[in-house]
Amino acid sequence: MQAEVTPAPKPKVDQSSAISHKRAKGYNLHAGDKYYAFAFLGPSLLVLGTFVFYPMLRTLYLSLFLTNNVGRPTVFVGLKNYIGLLTSSAYQASLQATAVYVIGVVALTLILGLLLAQLAVKKLAGIQWFRTIFSATMGVSVSVAAIFWLFIFSPSIGLFDQIGNFLHLPIVAWLTQPGPAMFAVIISTVWMNLGFTFLILFGALQMVPQPLYEASAIEGASESYQFFHVTIPMISPTLFFTSTVTLIGAFKSFGLIDLMTAGGPNNATNLMVYRVYQDAFLSGNYGIASAESVILAVIIALFTLLQFKFLEKRVTY
Amino acid sequence: MKKQTVSHKVFAIVASILVVLAAILGWTAFSHPSASAQSNGRIKVVFWHEMTGPAQQQLIKFSKQFNQSQKKYEVVPEFEGSYNEAVQKIINTHGTDASPAVFQSMDISTSQMHHTGYTTPVQKFIDADNYDVNKISAGARAFYSNQGTQLSMPFNTSQPVLFYNATLLKKLGVTPPPVNPSYSDITKVAKQVMEKSNKKVQGMSVEIYGWLFEQFMANSGASFANNDDGHASTPTASNLTGPSTVNTMKWLQTNVKDGVFANYGAGGNALNNEIASFLSGRLAMFLQSSATTTQLTKGNKDQVGITYYPHPDGQKSNGVAIGGASLWISNDKSAAVQRGSWDFIKFLMTAKSQAEWQAATGYLALNKDSQKQPALLNMYKKLPESRVPGEQLAAAKPNNTNSGIFMQGLIQARNLTQTAMEQIYAGSNIQKALQTAQSSLNGNIKNNNRANGY
Repeated sequence: MQAEVTPAPKPKVDQSSAISHKRAKGYNLHAGDKYYAFAFLGPSLLVLGTFVFYPMLRTLYLSLFLTNNVGRPTVFVGLKNYIGLLTSSAYQASLQATAVYVIGVVALTLILGLLLAQLAVKKLAGIQWFRTIFSATMGVSVSVAAIFWLFIFSPSIGLFDQIGNFLHLPIVAWLTQPGPAMFAVIISTVWMNLGFTFLILFGALQMVPQPLYEASAIEGASESYQFFHVTIPMISPTLFFTSTVTLIGAFKSFGLIDLMTAGGPNNATNLMVYRVYQDAFLSGNYGIASAESVILAVIIALFTLLQFKFLEKRVTY
Repeated sequence: MKKQTVSHKVFAIVASILVVLAAILGWTAFSHPSASAQSNGRIKVVFWHEMTGPAQQQLIKFSKQFNQSQKKYEVVPEFEGSYNEAVQKIINTHGTDASPAVFQSMDISTSQMHHTGYTTPVQKFIDADNYDVNKISAGARAFYSNQGTQLSMPFNTSQPVLFYNATLLKKLGVTPPPVNPSYSDITKVAKQVMEKSNKKVQGMSVEIYGWLFEQFMANSGASFANNDDGHASTPTASNLTGPSTVNTMKWLQTNVKDGVFANYGAGGNALNNEIASFLSGRLAMFLQSSATTTQLTKGNKDQVGITYYPHPDGQKSNGVAIGGASLWISNDKSAAVQRGSWDFIKFLMTAKSQAEWQAATGYLALNKDSQKQPALLNMYKKLPESRVPGEQLAAAKPNNTNSGIFMQGLIQARNLTQTAMEQIYAGSNIQKALQTAQSSLNGNIKNNNRANGY
């Protein structure tokens, strides 16, 4: 902003010409730089090549085959694995379930995380306690979280069931009915995510310059007006970051699903990643599982791209 | 400038050498230490299993006993996670130093394990030793044999049975189900329980579990897949929509609709919840593996009744198949190691070992002579009902419909039958749910046969 306010024509021209001069050379490296580049990039290329690029290409290759009972590709089927998947109602249901899950998790995580951060940023007596508690789920492992929530959702002996019984509410079979089961895993995932999201957003809120609030208060802005017109714009880069991370994390959710519902009931929580696991490591159907992984990777890449394209534009400064 | 280039070159070369060195070091560090087949002069026999809890403890005990009983071999038991995961691990490590010499693999992986060509059928050793297999339960052997060849040795074996809370039924004044109950016998008891307990106790439950689905078919004498459930030749299609299967599902659905049936869903949690409800006196009857007997009776003040798996009305029970896992010998190990594996298997199958195995775990003793062993006699004295699963196993005459399904891809098949059960419990059209499962399964069978060149 300031650079625009104070225009200095002469040096600016010099600077840009210096840059274009360098560009014109097309990043022609010195002979010695080449060796440096090799020395520095070599190890990481080796590692990435072995553990990232090769597996990716191999997955792509496998997805075009049927695999036999020892996992070797035997019959080339072209895109038939993909076509078979995308036309099967079970896979479509899985896509739909994933969409519901991801939207639910991202929206709730951001809203609740922001709410907690907003509460914790207030300077009150004992607020340190709450800050610690709010970020506590960061230290909870997936298996512990699953056991904790299973205890709450379990039918006939679960906490919700006991409370429901006490209040004479109708009994909800949390993990054995499709709708409630999806709700249960979303809630558990959001709870898991909250600690991290809270911490990041809390940090961002503390970085918002106080004078902005003071100035807007003098102008007569209400607290909610301040929140939507000062706080949100100021922390928008952080919100963007957390939304991207949460989105990708939600697509990749596995542990809680495996431990809480194992994809059931009636495949209601059989998300895309869980299907990949089932097809590859339970059924040994590597061809289909590879096709599913490729579809998942494309979808995640697409969403990340969309976020960068549209959401980042709305990020103030 | 020139001098600097030289130093760049040197730097680059040194760096790449370092990387290569690190890679080699890492490689040697991670390559399996068991490459040294011999330790303290004994031949090492690595044994992969998937048992947890008391069963794992007992296996470790058996390995120690076997190692003490002779000086030639040393059995090293290694836990490998769940049944499903172990199958993939066994296949993926075959031919490397990391692979096991003898391993435990679950019932429904039998056809797959056989078709990998990675194993030596135990029949070879049975013939070489003139081992008397007639001592081992015929029903269990039939499950793991093909065209008269014993592929693997049945090991931890269970039967699906009906459990009921005998004390609770007595308190409510309900007559318990008979020894070999029909579907309507069960319904009658379930209805009475609901009525007499003022709906405080659920009448019955059947977990959404593909294994139980298969057992309903077995007990009514229906084939799951064509070509005699795969015992004659590789199946090319499944048959899930036959009248007896529809009839069974109708029985379950009617009971769900009538409110005498508790649905705990599918998966490990379902079993835990079912057991918890049973132990807290909220569930009167349920179908489950006999392997849960210990869990149900230990510390339970109520007396637990056990009886046979139910059969359709108006027909005799055909008998159910077993569940559990068997022991296989890998063929990527030397003859000496394979021999050691077989000797270990023989040790596990002795009357004494089998009796101790059942007493410790609830899995059935497969050696007929085990019935006279003190470990089992003690157990029967304490818990007379624990005889029932073994009696049910002995009563069934093995035939093609009650000796398991010799087909690959059964894990997927179970996912499909479980989905159908879930839909049926939720009130869906039975014929349609079964038809959907059948056509998906047939597609899988076709692909699988194509991929394997059958």
